Amino acid sequence: MTTGAKTLGGGINAALYLHGARLAFRRQFAYPAATFWGLTTNLFFGALRVAVILALFGARPQVAGFTAQGAITYTGLTQAFLSAFAMFGWYDLMRTIHRGEVATELLRPHSFLGFWMAQDAGRAAAQFLLRGCTILALYALIWGLQRPASPGLLAVSMLFAWACGFAFRFWVNCAAFWSADAVGIGRFAWAWMGLACGFLMPLAFFPPWLQRVLACTPFPSMMNTMVEVWLGVRTGAGAVQGIAVQAAWTVALLALARLTLARGLRRLEVAGG
Amino acid sequence: MADLVGGARHHLRLYRRLIGAQIRSQLVYRFAFVLDAAAAALITGTEFVAFALVLPRFGGFNGWSLGEVALLYGMAELAFVLMDLVFGGFDAPTISTHVRTGSFDTFLLRPVPLPLQIFGSDFALRRVTRVALAASILAYGVAGAGVDWTAGAVLLLAASVLGMIAFFGGLFVVGGTLTFWTVDSVEAMNVLTYGGRTLISFPMDIYGTWLRRTFTYLIPAAFLSYFPVLHVLGRPLPDGLPRWAAFLPLVIGPLLLAAAFAFWRVGVRRYHGAGS
Repeated sequence: MTTGAKTLGGGINAALYLHGARLAFRRQFAYPAATFWGLTTNLFFGALRVAVILALFGARPQVAGFTAQGAITYTGLTQAFLSAFAMFGWYDLMRTIHRGEVATELLRPHSFLGFWMAQDAGRAAAQFLLRGCTILALYALIWGLQRPASPGLLAVSMLFAWACGFAFRFWVNCAAFWSADAVGIGRFAWAWMGLACGFLMPLAFFPPWLQRVLACTPFPSMMNTMVEVWLGVRTGAGAVQGIAVQAAWTVALLALARLTLARGLRRLEVAGG
Repeated sequence: MADLVGGARHHLRLYRRLIGAQIRSQLVYRFAFVLDAAAAALITGTEFVAFALVLPRFGGFNGWSLGEVALLYGMAELAFVLMDLVFGGFDAPTISTHVRTGSFDTFLLRPVPLPLQIFGSDFALRRVTRVALAASILAYGVAGAGVDWTAGAVLLLAASVLGMIAFFGGLFVVGGTLTFWTVDSVEAMNVLTYGGRTLISFPMDIYGTWLRRTFTYLIPAAFLSYFPVLHVLGRPLPDGLPRWAAFLPLVIGPLLLAAAFAFWRVGVRRYHGAGS
């Protein structure tokens, strides 16, 4: 089987992709109770993370460019973007591959990767509005939030953080074309991503050697860069450079995902039924 | 008396057979098993590693050394993962599935005590790597906390781990029982189970007064490991609590577990099949 050659850039089907994104967006509002309890859990873990960070800071006014208030804001951002960036994992694509539903999708006249990306954009936007904004508002009320240093750059950085993370998640999900154990491979990838993207602790607090190693990987682009732009740890040229790195990784990972997808589809076999 | 011992032996044999069957089935797909086991350990490992990696930059943690925190963290993680192995069948998502699909009826029809079947219904062998990891974090804590280990201190911390297993097991049983009414698992319980586990993984003096007191007097989590560890480290208990308050984990944990099973019996009486 081969994929359709159409891509997002084609422009012919823009309305279609937008519609896919909108449907995925609306789907997120279907379970208000789950959202409420998800928020409660987020906020509780946020409170624990604030306590841990403040205990680390003690009386120190500033560490590695972070003030204590900035570090509190950091924990707020991790809790706020946890679901939008799917930090605990994302198995949607591998599920459709394992179940064979992928065959139906391949019949549709649109770019496979592009449509998944549009749907994930809708999902992420809804999660950001539902959970992200609520968490940030609650944080601002309870612990106080540091305002974004440059909102324009932040918006771009946020967009690339999602796109870069999506490309990585999509690529990992492609493992399902080769292995029935893709879920296990996924768990591995997400655990590693959590540490390497700055979700568990700000990368600036890590020892310099580890920071140097991680700087050569795409993971900081998936969260840490955005956090540093928000907090003003990266400003001006530093912020622009960080965003350029994010853009480069996004393009590279999307290309890798597309290549892997094409090879995976070539060996895809779906049992009829 | 001999009858009682014989009955217990019979039940133990049944439990072993139930667990054994699951272990064999989980080992059929070797690669999947190894992968899942390694990933399970990596998830826990990265959390502690992230903390250990940033600590040197700050130099201190509210007067606690890495070894001392490792003691608390390792005990909480060890107890929680052992509890997860033993009480996995009572976890709300598991019971929820049985209630929704009606497969809970099958348990009720078999001439074997119900709790025994539930205990033997979900044993995730992949978690053994987390047991090993938690044990190594704890071992680091034991070596690095600067404690002169006496038999009494070792016994107290062993009691603390047992108390936590009973306590969190009780919370699992309560969460599972609630699904007899709600069908879906009640997510608020996650704050108590997973949230509680994370909360007591760190010294509780880092939390604000209200959070610490809520998890001391309303939900007696502080008695499980924080007070015993304070005692072993020779530090005073907070709020002017007497020293004997550090010796209560084996009272509090089993009390909650007993109450949870009483609630379980009410829930089972309430249960009616899904008609499928």
